[in-house]
Amino acid sequence: MDYQFHWRPVIQALPDLLKASLVTLQVSLIAMALGLMIGLVLYFFRASQLRVLRGFGSTWVEIARNTPSLFQIFVFYWGLGEFGIFLSSYTAVVAALTFNCAGYMAETYRGGFNAVNPGQDKAARTLGMTRFQSMRYVVLPQVLRAIYGPMTNQFTWVILASSLGMLAGLRELSGETQYFNSRTFRTFEFFAATAVIYYLIAKMALLLMALLGRPLFKAERAKS
Amino acid sequence: MTDVFTTLQWSDLIFLLEGAWKTIQISVVSILLGTLLGMVFGWLMSLNNKLITFAVMAVLDVFRSVPLLIQLILFDSFVAIAGFPLPAFWSGTIVLIIYTASLVAVVVHSGIDAVPPGLRAAARCLGMSYWQEMRHVTTPVGLRTAFPSWLGVALATIKDSALVSAIGYVELLRASQILNTRTQESVKIMLLVGLIYFIISYPLSRLGARYEQRQKS
Amino acid sequence: MKNTTVLGAFGALALLGATLATPAAADKLDDVLGSGKLRCAVVLDFPPMGYRDANNEPAGMDVDICKDLASRMGVDAEVVGVTWAERIPSLISGRTDVAIASSSDSLERAQTVGFTIPYMVFQFQSLLPADSEITEWDQLKDANVGVAVGTTYESELTDYSAANWPDGKGKITTFQAENDTYLAVSQGRVEAGIATDTAIANILQSDSFSNLKAGPVAPFGADIVGFMTERNEFGWINYLNLYINHAYRDGTLGDLYETHIGGEMPDLTTVGVYY
Repeated sequence: MDYQFHWRPVIQALPDLLKASLVTLQVSLIAMALGLMIGLVLYFFRASQLRVLRGFGSTWVEIARNTPSLFQIFVFYWGLGEFGIFLSSYTAVVAALTFNCAGYMAETYRGGFNAVNPGQDKAARTLGMTRFQSMRYVVLPQVLRAIYGPMTNQFTWVILASSLGMLAGLRELSGETQYFNSRTFRTFEFFAATAVIYYLIAKMALLLMALLGRPLFKAERAKS
Repeated sequence: MTDVFTTLQWSDLIFLLEGAWKTIQISVVSILLGTLLGMVFGWLMSLNNKLITFAVMAVLDVFRSVPLLIQLILFDSFVAIAGFPLPAFWSGTIVLIIYTASLVAVVVHSGIDAVPPGLRAAARCLGMSYWQEMRHVTTPVGLRTAFPSWLGVALATIKDSALVSAIGYVELLRASQILNTRTQESVKIMLLVGLIYFIISYPLSRLGARYEQRQKS
Repeated sequence: MKNTTVLGAFGALALLGATLATPAAADKLDDVLGSGKLRCAVVLDFPPMGYRDANNEPAGMDVDICKDLASRMGVDAEVVGVTWAERIPSLISGRTDVAIASSSDSLERAQTVGFTIPYMVFQFQSLLPADSEITEWDQLKDANVGVAVGTTYESELTDYSAANWPDGKGKITTFQAENDTYLAVSQGRVEAGIATDTAIANILQSDSFSNLKAGPVAPFGADIVGFMTERNEFGWINYLNLYINHAYRDGTLGDLYETHIGGEMPDLTTVGVYY
């Protein structure tokens, strides 16, 4: 091995890489939040009596789950451009990741709602709760508990998948790394540093989700 | 001086299908070897040895916590500077195998965990050896819970194979980018490519849905 | 007496074995000659220097230079298509022997790879929609300008706009490939693109881009490009330098320039200084 490692360019670029990590976080958080909301809507669409809504929901979910996310990013970035709809790199990446997240979350919600015994909703309604109240106080908390694990995984996935933004010209963490790589040609050094940063971000996200989830599982812990 | 942009023609469909065939090759090799490797890791984690479990988990967790794209670029440049140049197919596939294995390990681990310990103890009491019990009790019972999740991993691997394009291997997505660049007819090409990916992965996801349905009834 | 003969025989045998078995002293030039194959990394989305023809086969000036070099070495040419970003990994990984990929010889890059003497010179120019009202370079400061990622003009433009347009309302949008930039200008996604003069002259000839026109030339100065290989391959770099010299003086480069770009091949020397 006659390669000499040079870390100085990486250290000099570190502030810029960390700044770009914020873009990564921003993109992931927005896509995740939107994905959670749209996913819920898609779940209700798919559970609906109306065939149009069911078809719409299922098509979305199947496309999101059966094509590569990089392909989805390219479609939002280049494909839409052919029709005169120009999304910036940032918007296209957020839109594609949201599209993907919503598809996966719709499936996750389905699992979550199936895990709640329908008798509970009936019981709550019998006790005089409105449909909304029963949803809000009885069903949804249990669904949320059931999907919390998969949701955490999805969040980690979005953070990692946002790295594909680099291939659509987004200067998030990976894109910034690629920029410095093409300036200095120090591929290994730069991407090694970036791998470490991603690892740390992923761990921080897990910690955050664990903290946020604590109140949710408080009742459960008290029981045991 | 020649016009460097040429329109889409029928031979380009064959070019795309060649790319699709390479996507299938990467996927099949990665899923097969990744599953075998993942089973070994999953089994190691279920051995009731805290040190081994922790070590295997920590190492595999790294592969699940760093974007696959970064792993690919990093590994590719690493084998380069270490003096073991590999063809892009193999440096890409090796990363995909390890990544798949790190996901399969979790599936296998939770599959084994799902087998009631009482059942396993009972089998041992009846005189089965460790391996007999593994073969005749844990595997069939654990497989039932693990199979749908494994299908999910296999599907993810097919789609993630698109990332191997980033280190220069001309598989389906890269083939489509080449055509995009040459012909500037991106909508037609994208529709076609989306359809091909869909055709490759949809049967697997249907299989998963059918299996889930059967489990329920 | 006998002992020394035996020893000598062993010694001779060992020496013979060593010459047969140790390629340790072989450099890249030996490798290429030995394998009978010259593998060139060429960027194939950079017409007219590198692109794919109607049969998706590599074509362009860089591709033809690779073939010419191979035929002079008496070996087969193998063109490996790469993106801008893959040039160096493909070299360092040993997948290719030389990058003939219109790569600017920046000092920053030369800390990692080895450059030959220049074999081409470009100017950077803006590419505009046919109805654009931009006529001066400085009008680009408020425009959304597209540029391919990992190119010299990307870093030049980034540095230039930071230094000269601190109050500019425009922005720089990066694209993964050169052609993505043209497509973006053509679609109206960006108000202008930056590319090389050769590429712009070429695409304006194409029917696909009849809605574009060439704009002002960038004030960054000429873009001087060389072949690239591993930094420590001096023997190989020497050979490549001599090849470029021969190919220029016997008119090969000029002919290729005429075929692919049209017009007179530019002067490759820098006035007033030795290389």
